[in-house]
Amino acid sequence: MTILKTSRLDASRRRFLRTASVVSGSVGTAAAPFALNLASLNTAVAQTADYKAIVCLFLYGGNDSSHMVLRTDALSFDEYTRLRSVAPESIALKAPNTAAVAGTNASPDRLGGVRAIAPKFTAGVAGSAQNNAFTYALHPSMPEVATLFAANRLAILANAGPLVVPLTRADYVANVMPRPKALGSHNDQQSTWQALGPEGAKVGWGGHIGDLVASSNANTVFTSISVSGNAVFSAGETVFQYQVGGNGATQIGGISGTLFGSTTAAATLKGIVTGANQNLFANEYGTIVKRSIDAQAAFQTAYVASTVAAPTQYVRPSTNQLTNNDLAAQLQTVARIVGARGGLGAKRQVFFVSMGGFDTHDGQNPNQADLLARISHALGYFDTTLGTLGMRDNVTLFTASDFGRTLTSNGDGTDHGWGGHHFVMGGAVNGGDIYGRFPQFIQKAADSNDNAYIPGVSVDTIGSTLGKWFGVSDAQLDTVFPNLHNFPRDLGFLRPT
Amino acid sequence: MALLALLAACGGGKGTDDAVSSGDTSPTGPAAVSVYSAAAASRFLAQASFGPTSAEISRVQAMSYSAWIDEQFAKPQALHRDALNLAAADLAATGQMVSPSNFYDSYWAQAVGGPDQLRQRAAFALSQIFVISFNNDTLRAQPRGVASYYDMLGANAFGNFRDLLESVALHPMMGVYLSHLKNQKEDPATGRVPDLNFAREITQLFSVGQYKLNADGTVVTDASGKAAAAYVSTDLEGLSQVFTGWSWYGGPNLADRTNRRFFGNDANLERDWRPMQDYNRFAANTDFHSISTKNFFGVSIPAQTLTTADTKGDLKIALDTLFNHPNVGPFIGKQLIQRLVTSNPSPQYVARVTAAFNNNGSGVRGDMKAVWRQVLLDPEARTPTTSISAGKVREPLVRLANFLRAFNAKSTTGRYLGIGNTDDPANRLNQTPMLAPTVFNFYRPGYVPSSKPIADAGLVAPEFQIVHDVSVAGYMNYMRTAVTIDTNRDIQQDYSAELALADKPADLVERMNLLLFYGEMPAALRAKMVEAVTSRAIPVAVYSSAPTVGGTLTKIADEGNSFTVTGTNTVRYGAGTTFIEQSVTGAGQCTNDFFGTDPLPGSGKSCFVFTPTPAAGASAPAALPPAVASNQGAIDSAKRDRVYLAVFLSMVSPDYLIQK
Repeated sequence: MTILKTSRLDASRRRFLRTASVVSGSVGTAAAPFALNLASLNTAVAQTADYKAIVCLFLYGGNDSSHMVLRTDALSFDEYTRLRSVAPESIALKAPNTAAVAGTNASPDRLGGVRAIAPKFTAGVAGSAQNNAFTYALHPSMPEVATLFAANRLAILANAGPLVVPLTRADYVANVMPRPKALGSHNDQQSTWQALGPEGAKVGWGGHIGDLVASSNANTVFTSISVSGNAVFSAGETVFQYQVGGNGATQIGGISGTLFGSTTAAATLKGIVTGANQNLFANEYGTIVKRSIDAQAAFQTAYVASTVAAPTQYVRPSTNQLTNNDLAAQLQTVARIVGARGGLGAKRQVFFVSMGGFDTHDGQNPNQADLLARISHALGYFDTTLGTLGMRDNVTLFTASDFGRTLTSNGDGTDHGWGGHHFVMGGAVNGGDIYGRFPQFIQKAADSNDNAYIPGVSVDTIGSTLGKWFGVSDAQLDTVFPNLHNFPRDLGFLRPT
Repeated sequence: MALLALLAACGGGKGTDDAVSSGDTSPTGPAAVSVYSAAAASRFLAQASFGPTSAEISRVQAMSYSAWIDEQFAKPQALHRDALNLAAADLAATGQMVSPSNFYDSYWAQAVGGPDQLRQRAAFALSQIFVISFNNDTLRAQPRGVASYYDMLGANAFGNFRDLLESVALHPMMGVYLSHLKNQKEDPATGRVPDLNFAREITQLFSVGQYKLNADGTVVTDASGKAAAAYVSTDLEGLSQVFTGWSWYGGPNLADRTNRRFFGNDANLERDWRPMQDYNRFAANTDFHSISTKNFFGVSIPAQTLTTADTKGDLKIALDTLFNHPNVGPFIGKQLIQRLVTSNPSPQYVARVTAAFNNNGSGVRGDMKAVWRQVLLDPEARTPTTSISAGKVREPLVRLANFLRAFNAKSTTGRYLGIGNTDDPANRLNQTPMLAPTVFNFYRPGYVPSSKPIADAGLVAPEFQIVHDVSVAGYMNYMRTAVTIDTNRDIQQDYSAELALADKPADLVERMNLLLFYGEMPAALRAKMVEAVTSRAIPVAVYSSAPTVGGTLTKIADEGNSFTVTGTNTVRYGAGTTFIEQSVTGAGQCTNDFFGTDPLPGSGKSCFVFTPTPAAGASAPAALPPAVASNQGAIDSAKRDRVYLAVFLSMVSPDYLIQK
């Protein structure tokens, strides 16, 4: 293994490096972890001209990205059509410019042809030299994404996924080089995308980057924020993930004023629910309650004052009905927090939002069309909203997912794969381009193992590119991504700002 | 007699000797009846049921853990499916259909009121391993099917794991959820392969797990310290071929299994709950089962022909193979411990449960009765510990059930309506039965919270995956309302026992200690609770008229003087028609200080005792007739507040939230 240059740092050494890098953080002066520094909030307002946020949009279940971004040249598309139009229910999308015809809602016939896009193939962009010989399209249900791509505010990351070292098909077949553990397993690959190791990983790279930049925030509590429950991506060594819901932070009633007719019981209650405890679990529970109480007031004051237009409903392809878009609602919350950055004393924030339902083993036509329509509508909304806030250049969103899916159909869906295509969106994105070589849709060829893509772009490279834009130094990035030295450090999809 | 009961508790499986010797070793009293202390019985019931009640604590004390478990094994099962049928009939009158809410009602009816409490707790644990979820659109539209799936888990909870595994594999709701219903064989011509979904999850989540395990649940590692994978992808591909050719129940006759029914048409009205059927060969165009060679876990099923295709035979081989994998005992056993007892069992505890799984003492593998018995009677389960890493976060649904059971909640309609979907983390429980986000449950057995002390200690804490800034606040807000009495609700808790203790805060808090903390409420918490309860003052009763029915009031002293009563008597202090009363033994003072308040400021007062007029022919004097205080409403309200305070502060205290 050592000759393959995988990380040999043992756990304690890694921990030391993380801690040390936090203490000597290059951005601003060190702030005490977990500190709720109310006194410094006012002075923080003036400092927020330099603000950046990274938003992870996680697509739980393993998005069939071969249906989200497609090569439409005959070489690839004919094989795609062959493998995916099998009984009982063809899931093969139609060629560009195919007119929509009557049929079941969200069926390929009813959706019409895939939505052609025109990548710039900028010279020097990884993969451009190979990619420019071919044509590309998006799923028919993604008009807003097509618009963002054309406006150069969205880029496509081709065939990305977890790797330990770069792998060719020959390497894969030879099976000597290391590969990520537990490929194909949802929970493990979610964890690997988010925290670079299978289930049980404790620190995510979003949270870890948060550790490194937290000291630039007047209030470190609001460095890593999840809008959709606990996710290891957001967990740092010192930075915890602060959770908010659609209405922002949730106030606990009864901890002040009169509680059940007593004027003093509220204080007793607060003492009980936040008190230290010998038992580690009881202590942790009390710690979370204390944090929830302490942070809520400061958060909510700033949050309530920050309003943005609510998202509209989207047309759900499977029903053709206007439907609420939960992802857009999550991104509305993110946008409000971005708008509240001054009051929150935040200069660097890492957000986590998510959607479920991508495990389309069956019913892929309606299920995935609905999901992709929701993504597209939500990204369009987020871009518009950030534009209104004047914060497009300051916020970069990227997608991640358990894995891509198999090339073949199982009759009405697809199974677990490995590499997949992703989006990165924002005003700082060098958009309108494809980063990384886009594979031909074919089994057992250069970019595939038997039935899934072997990733060409590693998660480490995506994270490192984002981290560099965020202001994290190369040395620090090496501690976040221990295998980064095996891969390109910067894919170039972000402009330094 | 206690000794006999204890010996009876150790019958059967390995390791239970320890359970006896170091189990509950502190029987209280003369032990003529009580084998265990009330606190120990309460602690047992916190693990083995949806929560202790006063009555059940007494029953357990009078029998033994083992006898209680045996009694529970024998309790008949009530079917959620029947409840859904009832609900459907009612709703049909108004042209409506059943929804998941009808299942939630039935779930709470059984969780709170069901006499088969061990089955309830066991089924809930199994539902978190063999996960299906209303989160799936198709399942949301089939609440009776999901109800029957839950019934199936309950029915098999005390059977054999092999039958449980087969029932899970063939339940149509699982077939829909993990998409092996309608799954077809591979087609080399088009490149179609069988759906891998169920093959993967039955292996990874329902039986074997990701890594090779030792009998004590620790991971087998290779020379370089790397965890050894329990299977490779080709094992799953081989299994995926087995799970082809299964679909909806078509009917009792082989000819019912038509091509159209395979694809979901011509629905049989019971197909949502009857096991899936194999479709190969019984009607035209139904050869959906793979006939190629199938290789998995070192087993090879030879290639078949269209006429020898053996859908059921292949299933048997596959399930036998999974069932007999040495991982199953530690993999499933450890998760059951995590659900009922503790997040971090010792390897020895896991090994004892594995041994019970592998052999119930009579040479039978997979006997779930032996497994539950070991999980609950193991010394590590039965011995209270003060280790800082002990225990588990109580599941939010278990907390609500605890609360409703401890305070004898009853449903006015008998149907336990109104709890419904409890998912919203901002104002509910962040958990709803049969509504996990994915097949990976509400939380993972290996989840490590982002807490340095917990992570550094190498501990896991699954339930912390749904505990965060929002959900802790939502839970407190939900409970603050739930503990109150609201006559508009269908489910009403009965606080009569607690209200009777409202004027004795220490006793009221002690009752919380028994029902919710199994006697282990820390002294500091107890003091704070008593202080909080006491802080809600109960107004002194003021009577607007002197009751004279059945006797007369006799003055014993004027204000400022002392008096003496015979034995214990109720003394009234006041004047005219305004009094307060207090029970006095022997000597007393007719003063504001002695009675604690001034019922009639500015007026001269006196003290009186009630002298009953004996009824004709009766020798014993009548008791003081009950008087209704003019401020009785305020008194009752204050007493309720004291109960609310005691219950609420208990339910949200970290010492309750962590079950140890």
